[in-house]
Amino acid sequence: MRFRGFGGFAASTLVAGAILWSFMTTDVEFSRLLSAGPRIAEFLGRMFPPDPTVMREIMKGGAETLRIAILGSLGAVVLSAPLGILASETMVSPPLYRTVRTLLAFIRAIPLILVAMLMVGAVGLGPLPGIIAVAFHATGMLAKFYAEAIDGVSRAPIAALESAGAGPLARLRHAIWPQMAPVIARDTIFRFELNLRESLILGIVGAGGIGFYIQTYVRSFQYDKAASVTLAVIVMVVAIEAINVALRRRFA
Amino acid sequence: MSPAVQIDDLSFAHPGSDLPALERISLLVPPGESIALLGPSGAGKTTLLALLDGRLRGWQGRTSVLGASLDPDRPPLRARRPDTGFVFQEFALVERSTVLRNVLNGRLGRMSPLRALMGSPTSHDLETALAALADCGIADLAERRVDSLSGGQRQRVAIARCLAQEPRLILADEPVSSLDPARAAEILTLLTGAARARGATAMFSSHQPDLARRFAQRIVGISGGRIVFDVPTSDLSEEATANLYRDTERMPGVGLRAVS
Repeated sequence: MRFRGFGGFAASTLVAGAILWSFMTTDVEFSRLLSAGPRIAEFLGRMFPPDPTVMREIMKGGAETLRIAILGSLGAVVLSAPLGILASETMVSPPLYRTVRTLLAFIRAIPLILVAMLMVGAVGLGPLPGIIAVAFHATGMLAKFYAEAIDGVSRAPIAALESAGAGPLARLRHAIWPQMAPVIARDTIFRFELNLRESLILGIVGAGGIGFYIQTYVRSFQYDKAASVTLAVIVMVVAIEAINVALRRRFA
Repeated sequence: MSPAVQIDDLSFAHPGSDLPALERISLLVPPGESIALLGPSGAGKTTLLALLDGRLRGWQGRTSVLGASLDPDRPPLRARRPDTGFVFQEFALVERSTVLRNVLNGRLGRMSPLRALMGSPTSHDLETALAALADCGIADLAERRVDSLSGGQRQRVAIARCLAQEPRLILADEPVSSLDPARAAEILTLLTGAARARGATAMFSSHQPDLARRFAQRIVGISGGRIVFDVPTSDLSEEATANLYRDTERMPGVGLRAVS
């Protein structure tokens, strides 16, 4: 009890200290917060009514974002299949899967927007750096999921089919694949949803897609047009979410 | 007709273990007999059944199953494996597949490699699988997914898969250990009845003497990896079963060990 009491005291001191320290070091001023109200009102006023004439740009940008997400996801699937096997505890030796898992953790730790900026620098503006960035970033998660799908396969039915005289390919097809396929499908759809959401903003760093227009219109003070594009993004996110929920139910 | 099982002086230790899991076992099982392996947990029943199914390597002695001798260094020929059917203790079913799919999996060893890979059974395969389902009383469950079934239903699926294999020797590892007494009797009636109807030999392990008595013609008591007695069911004395369980309490080197 005494130790727990001490631990609790230490933890609350640490949290309180961190909060105080943060207030001291940044320019959080109440006067600025108070004057923000009218400014936001003005900002929103200039966004309203949204300019519907940008429909063409929305369709073009939305289609490009969708393409980035699809090709980026495809790239991630292609990379994750071998990496997933190499990160699996049941397929390879501990030194190998531990190394690959560490590599995947590093990949996951790098934010997508950072990868996209690096890729814009490497291959230039447009959807290509976006596709590469999504493929790279998504592999960090997807390969780990695939490895877990492989490791989650129960060995007993495989042994049972072998005992019944089934060959290795028949065992793969009838004992391993039925266990893995729904998990892989569900994980891939989930990652595709994330890819699509995340690639909506890639245009802000010049990596293609609908985000480019938000960036352009905000920079040129065309807030009514920016509002239309933002609304379109919100609609897309909600639609993706709804489709994904319906799909995931199928693979439960 | 050659014996279903012929074992001469068989010994086996699990890899990495000095203590024998099976020690100097000899056993002769004529075709068509139903035989129970009786003994406490860790006695070596599962090990013996897995060995007869051709899943263990590195044993000593001579063993032949259905007239073909087993090789301690390599798995049996794949073409021979369907002749020996195995009912696994934990069912070993593909949970996400349907009952019919799982039962058809028992036919894979009898199909051509291409058909097995494509999963396209012939009409004979399908008839055999449906007949096995009917025999096990689960024809109405054919399209249900296994993960929606109860333990007793799963055991019936596991037996149906084994029967679909058209085995001449049925090995069942603790087929009723997870079921209540009424279900256990039903399952053993089914298993031994199906074996008899097909002229197949049935060998099942159990740690329950009363079930062994009811459903086997012959009872082999195993303890500490050795055969303690081997008698017709009518000759089994209460004393022999009592000794079987008492002895193991001070038997060294007896522990639970998974065999896969």
